Amino acid sequence: MNILGVPILTFLVFFPVAGMVVILFLPGSRTKAIKLAANIFTGLEFGATLLLLTRFDAASGDMQLVERLPWIKAIRAQYLLGVDGISLLLVLLTSLLTFIATLSSWQAVQKRLKEYYVFMLLLETSMIGVFLALDMLLFYVFWEVVLVPMYFLIGIWGGERRLYAAIKFFLYSLFGSVAMLVGILVLRSQHQTFDLTAMVAAGSVIPAALQGWVFLAFFLGFAIKVPMVPFHTWLPDAHVEAPTAGSVLLAGVLLKMGAYGFLRFSLPLLPEAARRYAPVLVVLALVAIVYGALVSLMQKDMKKLIAYSSVSHMGFVILGLFVLTPMAAKGAVLQMVNHGISTGALFLVVGVLYERRHTRLISEFGGLSSRMPVYAAVFLVMTMSSIGLPGLNGFIGEFMILMGTFPVSWLWTAVAATGIVLGAGYMLWLYQRVMFGKLSTPANESLKDLTFRELATFLPLVVLAFWIGIFPKPFLAVIDKPVEKIIRIVNPAHFEAPR
Amino acid sequence: MIAISGSDLGHFVPEVILLAAAVAAMFVHLFVKKGGRRGAGYVALAGIGAAGLALGLTPPSADALFGGHLTADSFALFFKAAVLAAGALAIVLAFRFFDVERSEPGEVYCLALLSMVGMMAAVSATDIVTTYVSFELFAIPSYVLAGIFKKERRSSEAGIKYFFLGTLSSAVMLLGMALVFGLTGATAYAVAGPALAGANGLAALVAMSLFFVGLFFKAAFVPFHMWAPDVYEGAPTPLVIFLSTAPKAAVIAVLVRAMTVLFGGYTAEGSYILQAVALATMFWGNLAALTQKSVKRMLAYSSIAQAGYLAIGLAAWGESARMAVPFYVAVYVVMNAAAFGLILLVDGGGRFDESVDGLRGLVRRAPVAAASILVVLLSLVGIPPTAGFMGKYFLFAAAVDRGLVLLAAAGALNSAISLFYYFRIGKAMFLEEADGPAPGAVHASPAAQASDRPAKRAAGVSRLVTVVLVLSAAVLLLFGLLPSLLASLAASARL
Repeated sequence: MNILGVPILTFLVFFPVAGMVVILFLPGSRTKAIKLAANIFTGLEFGATLLLLTRFDAASGDMQLVERLPWIKAIRAQYLLGVDGISLLLVLLTSLLTFIATLSSWQAVQKRLKEYYVFMLLLETSMIGVFLALDMLLFYVFWEVVLVPMYFLIGIWGGERRLYAAIKFFLYSLFGSVAMLVGILVLRSQHQTFDLTAMVAAGSVIPAALQGWVFLAFFLGFAIKVPMVPFHTWLPDAHVEAPTAGSVLLAGVLLKMGAYGFLRFSLPLLPEAARRYAPVLVVLALVAIVYGALVSLMQKDMKKLIAYSSVSHMGFVILGLFVLTPMAAKGAVLQMVNHGISTGALFLVVGVLYERRHTRLISEFGGLSSRMPVYAAVFLVMTMSSIGLPGLNGFIGEFMILMGTFPVSWLWTAVAATGIVLGAGYMLWLYQRVMFGKLSTPANESLKDLTFRELATFLPLVVLAFWIGIFPKPFLAVIDKPVEKIIRIVNPAHFEAPR
Repeated sequence: MIAISGSDLGHFVPEVILLAAAVAAMFVHLFVKKGGRRGAGYVALAGIGAAGLALGLTPPSADALFGGHLTADSFALFFKAAVLAAGALAIVLAFRFFDVERSEPGEVYCLALLSMVGMMAAVSATDIVTTYVSFELFAIPSYVLAGIFKKERRSSEAGIKYFFLGTLSSAVMLLGMALVFGLTGATAYAVAGPALAGANGLAALVAMSLFFVGLFFKAAFVPFHMWAPDVYEGAPTPLVIFLSTAPKAAVIAVLVRAMTVLFGGYTAEGSYILQAVALATMFWGNLAALTQKSVKRMLAYSSIAQAGYLAIGLAAWGESARMAVPFYVAVYVVMNAAAFGLILLVDGGGRFDESVDGLRGLVRRAPVAAASILVVLLSLVGIPPTAGFMGKYFLFAAAVDRGLVLLAAAGALNSAISLFYYFRIGKAMFLEEADGPAPGAVHASPAAQASDRPAKRAAGVSRLVTVVLVLSAAVLLLFGLLPSLLASLAASARL
């Protein structure tokens, strides 16, 4: 399938670059034109990802719409793109969240617009590239390029301590990435190819001891991205200092890259090591779930609270991946999408208040529901989605993860379930402190409710939250086969044992 | 006796052209009254261009030429091209420097060309005597270049330091060569190599170590780098560009030739030495760069660290490194020249600001130059899609192919460390605003302050340097996105 004569996946990756070029040539004084162009390009990109659905075959667990060109002949690296159900959902999430983030920046970003939208589009290209690349070197290239625009988004348009947060984010991520690079080097020397599908097809040719080291290298790269405890310390800083749109993409997409990496590379390529170290990762995930939730309870800053809640929620995703059952892994993939929707929306929710009051301290607010009823409704839906209320998206993902975990260990399930209880605690308490009670601060008297544009940014997320919550079947249908394929490689015993 | 045929000279037309251009540049500088100095520069550039053209037309030949003293194989030709590129970049940027300094020692051009002839001969040398002589030919003019501003203390100090340590290193190398001759009775690599392999192992190892130490000095490998930060900080910037790129390319080529041909019987031991040197060079260079305040001194350490990555490729010499090392040398020349070039970009009232403050908010004043510098910095760190990433990738892959996974891991770790100091520049350019008076004005000489040039002119952004930076960034991006273009050339460089 082609768009404008370009194969669709290539089009999806590089269309934002076209937007970058257009914006670069617009004069800096034409602010409206720049904003408009950025929104049109991210909107069209989202439209193009929807087109992908028409050609996607959910019944197949293989890579589809594969594009293959020689890239670096000397080392047999290829320009190799492809999509399966897992990538499909994440690409859709990426293009939707980028569009929403761009739209939400219309008023929020006032300085250096041109650079802002250029970095935004560069970020979109690299994020989509990460989810579509099937050549490990190409994947690494996109993976690294993601860091550069995000560094600038935090560093230029961020809050008070933006310089510190930006370099901390970049350094942490880069240390993880170079560890991963060493892992890629070893994999490549064992397989003599960068082609992911060929590596998976070749089966486990790597001796178990070496697998352990490569697994560790990949672990560093992905665990810092997720972030897993104890590599999470960059996250609160980056989230608190990043502009709203940056936080949305950071939480909504960048964190998913780490979980995606585990699922796409660590599990199928290093199955023996993955089996061996799975309990370690599960324990780290459980620590993240409980610790993240406890720390969230203590936060005074709304953004920091949601940042730590991400640590807890991503712990669920990692738990789901590493109990190595199809049910939990499917729940984990769905939970990646759910977290993108609910946490992305919650950062937008905080952004709305920050734009109006220039503070994010919970103590500055209270009783807002009387002044901003529509806002209160949106906030409530997203709070419930984050908690995992049945009927909303968060419930399905968490429930599947717990259900998939239970046959493996009731103890793990019990610990993870406390995370949900604590999650309900900190989110409801946040909602109560901000929205209910008396309107005590005079500055809040004149707060305006959501504008039409703001409502438009929330609407798709609210719709999706209900859709996945009530009728998740179409979403589960696309990930069913590819996830099962991966779990079959890493944990064949599960399929042999009598149910 | 040695038979020299005229056709042998046909392989060295580029060197002949450079020599002629050096003489011509000297005469133009001495005898053309008005504009003779800059004229000498143009002559030098034209000479380099003509030599480059001739180099492109020179067919590679693996034959022993001039009685086994020189060769013109494709390996030598590749490194000669790197030397020429480094020289051209340095001279173009020197124009800018001399314009701002308002003094132009015209002999620079002649000396630089002579030095380049020496480097190109060294790259071709296949005999220890020729190697030594060509090293001296490239070294002696470069001592003068480092100290060319006789009235400036920093420059003179740099020249003296470079001279003493350079001579010392030459002496050490000569001692190694003498041992080789003593052990084998031969001076040609091809003859002495096999003889050494069968000779007393310990003595041969001592000879190799001494020879290598001399080369390590000249390539500024740790722990033989002590001169480099001082010399690079003190010498005029365009000459630092020259001294930190061209000689390194030449020395790497000589190292490869010596390692594989002359000491071909001791490759395992040579690899151990180079592994240690690579580790020390990368870690020391990068960690020392972290603590520097002056951009110039930071870049001096950075160029030391960058050579450390090359040492990985030398330690892992084999089929993969054969392509990786020439690739990275070419990329290094462009990156490093552009990096030092950024010092010359902004002229704060007749002086170049060597602190990072001078670059604050540069993206507002010169967005194109700032974006180009960003690409250069990404390349130096080794972040895709730049040639610096690809080059590092090839080097690390070569190490992994030889089973040196930990060495590759150390290289990767260093690339992450280097982000911190390279991005002090990125931070200043993009994240910080230029507020208050231009910091360059503080350091400005009284003469420049007295002159009533308008403020805008005082913080002028050079168009010439911008062009160089943009071209460098374009090259780095091109070879980063399509590395095959350069990789196929590098792969064809065969000893």
